[in-house]
Amino acid sequence: MSSELIRLENVKMYFESRIGLFKTIPVKAVDGVNVRIFRGETLALVGESGCGKTTLGRVSLRLLKPVSGRIIFDGVDITDKEEKELKWFRKRAQAVFQDPYSSINPFMTVKEILEEPLILHHVGDSEERLEMIAKALTDVKLTPIEEFMRKYPHMLSGGQRQRVGIARALILKPEYIVADEPVSMIDASSRAEILYLLKELQEKYKISFLYITHDIATAKHFSDKIAVMYLGKIVEQAEAYELVRNPLHPYTKGLIEAVPEPDPSNRLKERKVILGEPPSPINPPSGCRFHPRCPYRFEPCDKNEPELKEARINHYVACYLY
Amino acid sequence: MLMILLELNQLKLYYTTIRGVVRAVDNVDLNVEAGEAVGLVGESGCGKTSMANAIIKMLPNNVALYEGRIILDGLNIVDLPEDEVRRKVRWRQISIVFQGAMNVLNPVIKVGHQVAEPLIIHGEMDRDEAYKIAREKMKLVGLHEEVFNRYPHELSGGMKQRVVIAMALVMNPKIVILDEPTSALDVSIQAQIMNLLKKLKRELNISMIFITHDIALASDISDKIAVMYAGQIVEIGSAEQVLISPKHPYTQKLLKATPKLTGEEKPEFIPGTPPDLVNPPSGCRFHPRCPYVMDICREREPRRFEPEKGQKTMCWLYGGET
Amino acid sequence: MSTRFKEAFQEFWRLNVSKIGVVFLTVLVILSIYVVVSYPLDFGVRYWNNPLYWADYPKSAPPSWVNYFSNEKIPEHYTFSSIKPSNTLLTESGIRLIYLFKLDFQADKTPTFLSLTVKNVTYYDKPVIIRLNVTRPDGKNIELYRYTVPAPYVDESPPYKRFYDQSKRISLTGDLSVASILARFLSREYNVTIKPSEVNSIGQHKIIFSIPKGDTQFTVLKGDYTFYIIVDTYDSRDSVGEVKLVVGGDVYGFMGTDSLGRDLSVGLLFGFPIALFIGIVTSTITTLLGAGLGIMGGYIGGKLDEVIQRTADFVNNIPLLPLLIFLAFILGQNLWIIVFLLVVFGWPTLTIIVRSMVLQLKSGQFIEAAIAIGAPRWWIMFRHIFPQVAPFIFAQLIFFTPTFILLEAALSFLGLGDPTMPTWGQILEYGFRSGGIYVGLWWWIIPPGLLIIWTAITFVLIALGMEPVVNPRLRRMK
Repeated sequence: MSSELIRLENVKMYFESRIGLFKTIPVKAVDGVNVRIFRGETLALVGESGCGKTTLGRVSLRLLKPVSGRIIFDGVDITDKEEKELKWFRKRAQAVFQDPYSSINPFMTVKEILEEPLILHHVGDSEERLEMIAKALTDVKLTPIEEFMRKYPHMLSGGQRQRVGIARALILKPEYIVADEPVSMIDASSRAEILYLLKELQEKYKISFLYITHDIATAKHFSDKIAVMYLGKIVEQAEAYELVRNPLHPYTKGLIEAVPEPDPSNRLKERKVILGEPPSPINPPSGCRFHPRCPYRFEPCDKNEPELKEARINHYVACYLY
Repeated sequence: MLMILLELNQLKLYYTTIRGVVRAVDNVDLNVEAGEAVGLVGESGCGKTSMANAIIKMLPNNVALYEGRIILDGLNIVDLPEDEVRRKVRWRQISIVFQGAMNVLNPVIKVGHQVAEPLIIHGEMDRDEAYKIAREKMKLVGLHEEVFNRYPHELSGGMKQRVVIAMALVMNPKIVILDEPTSALDVSIQAQIMNLLKKLKRELNISMIFITHDIALASDISDKIAVMYAGQIVEIGSAEQVLISPKHPYTQKLLKATPKLTGEEKPEFIPGTPPDLVNPPSGCRFHPRCPYVMDICREREPRRFEPEKGQKTMCWLYGGET
Repeated sequence: MSTRFKEAFQEFWRLNVSKIGVVFLTVLVILSIYVVVSYPLDFGVRYWNNPLYWADYPKSAPPSWVNYFSNEKIPEHYTFSSIKPSNTLLTESGIRLIYLFKLDFQADKTPTFLSLTVKNVTYYDKPVIIRLNVTRPDGKNIELYRYTVPAPYVDESPPYKRFYDQSKRISLTGDLSVASILARFLSREYNVTIKPSEVNSIGQHKIIFSIPKGDTQFTVLKGDYTFYIIVDTYDSRDSVGEVKLVVGGDVYGFMGTDSLGRDLSVGLLFGFPIALFIGIVTSTITTLLGAGLGIMGGYIGGKLDEVIQRTADFVNNIPLLPLLIFLAFILGQNLWIIVFLLVVFGWPTLTIIVRSMVLQLKSGQFIEAAIAIGAPRWWIMFRHIFPQVAPFIFAQLIFFTPTFILLEAALSFLGLGDPTMPTWGQILEYGFRSGGIYVGLWWWIIPPGLLIIWTAITFVLIALGMEPVVNPRLRRMK
């Protein structure tokens, strides 16, 4: 069996939200989450906007310091490390961002963008670096290499920019990559292409991925495990196919039900939907956070928070129904 | 039985830019029948939003060419002076729900007033009457009475979207154009809005032009689906025809690129990028990305063939007789 | 980067304002370079503010080209000087040196003064005697002046050197001995009886250049005048370094003179490099400081940002001019102190704007991306944030330049300029202070004002030309 690469233990991340001139209240973006990602594995973090999935991804990269909990990377606790002591981690953990237009500096050429991490981590001399850049560009299939190296971001299409973003994440040969909605701004016809590329590179270099997405359908096809997040908590986690085939949590069920598939009979029937909208994470509901919208809620739901339990083999759910 | 409400004939809309003339809408034919929902599906930059603007004659000032016929009630909107379009067509007959509807609302005016505003502007009723109608429409889209006196920032994304839909309905138009009405919403809210649109279509018997990049979402409401590529409608037919037996290779590929939650089928992708509308490829505009490309495709633009009754496509695969 | 620069330049050059601005700037720079190369560094102290240097210049004289526009011809200013005598004669007692200056005088008014200057006189035996004679167009000859160089002091041994450190200037105008000579001349030649004191009040120069008409009236005598400066020496080794005769006019040079007789064209020319220096140096320092603080405050945030912002608000909101006057008064009137004060009060505007731009950039994903690959703060500020605000900062640099030129002019005008360096503001100020504006000395007041405005406009034009480069909203649709 593969070994664990990164583990988040009971991580909490609160932000201060200003409500008056001097008064602030905490927004509980991530509120007690445990996640483990093994080497060479992809974990998809699925949830709707505001559920805290992006925050969790940033915490796992130590771009944010959690208010409590631990981040263990390859056996080392990096929770409270200063930025100076994190240099080794910055080399081994990378990020691919959502917006290929704003995540790369428009004033730098592709070569400069890809060379920057190498310079910062003092990797190789300029000739070796050029070789590594060429290899990264070949990996993400941006050829002819010479031509692309000279280009500025505005000369590239969205898909090509995202490949530059991936190449930048790849160039330091990381073991862990957080990909935050990497295809949500890419045309439908090209999305799968980028995802296959990530998959291929993962297999080639044995990278662990945290794939953050709102789209459970791509999560099913491109990840090993799926964790579903709702209001700062993970409510269900299982192998990807298992979770989609046998969703247990009422929220997961609703989420899957809401995804349309191209079927002409869709228009003739009403979709079963989750009623209402997610409440604010400033003041989450008591007990199970989903209970105000849950069609199956009963006695204990609004009192105590359900624990994440193994309801089936390797299938965890936080719900009193199980 | 079927009554053609809106007829687009050889519609063209070109823009002038520094780079040259952009052929955003190029020779489009489309009929919208009473009570029918037409799904207009295409990737970003294919000209679908330009088509919405062309139909209600809301044109930017760099228009190079605007010609063809848009027949509504015997009037050709293309030739109609702006003043008459405003008095007779816009909002009264055809209304529109813009992309990013949340930004359409003025943050400092109560939403109820904003819904009633078109009635007051068109000036045939006093404020009380207009408010009464606005309240009715807001109830129709599932908004609680008290929402009338709220400001936009006090509403959730889904509620704002409902407000904007109520605004579009306030003058009882025959046709509502919905330009990506759910693209900013989460899937669970998207499903609620789609259910609302189905209900409105059924109860009010209005026609809809539903513009989206997501063919699966289009299947959720459309009776007829038109697939747009590089400024042209490359395939049109009933939802069953287009979704079950698509004829144009682009439609086929687009369907396969949609990740499915059911089944094991992996999504595919279309290699290459959509063409530049300043300089579209010769012949069939899809030919550089088409797996079935033939010599004729490179040279001549395909005519509209009708391989099945009511299903038209611009593809030489179905032009065998010539 | 270079293609971007080229594109930006093309965008800039497209506008006519940019072209005009660049042409103006080129003129400014060429004149400044000329001045820097040809003027001494201590020009202000040694020449401009040294009244002795300007003694032989006409006071408050308009430019000489006004003669083209007036019916009555105003006398020009003539300066004759020579280091070698035109003639030497052997006399029984020694050698006589004769300096000869000819003047064709055609103006409708008499000159304004007459003066004789000698320099570097050396003698070995008896003191040298210097005389000044004039032959008028009517053939009459007057010996105007006679002067014996001071005799040796007790204990002094030859050679006796005189007028080496400071030249000897003899103003014939106002000299009583000349007056009595002229009174005698008038009674002898024209039978006009007039007391020497009256000659003195009429003006010696006036009598020399005219013929009396009645008892008190004089008419200008036009024609050729010859002045002889005769030096009698008593030893073959005696020498005279230089003699100079000035026939004071009432118009001077291209730009005229001020009430001290200072040649305004010289002072105004010196103003070019000073104005450019103050404008460019001050705005460069201000911009760098302002932008640096803005970037640091905006990016690092926290306490540092708080301190910078509060300071900026404070400095920005105190009334600038009274404080500048106060501080210039306390700290002294020195160019560097003025530059320092302008910087201290100039940075906040830019800091506030740059900070808000940085706050917006900071939330961009490429900044987060840079942090994720392990880039330190200074790297992000230099490599990622600075290039994005650089065009704006550069435009501000140019935009600030005229502001500082005008501010310096304002300070100078209030009498707080650096007295060792003439600036346009100071020339203007002196014009006002000495009443030049009230008696209509327009050549003194208008040119410095126009030059200040013109220089300011040059930079404003360039800044306007840069606007579409820096402000993407004004760019042509792409």
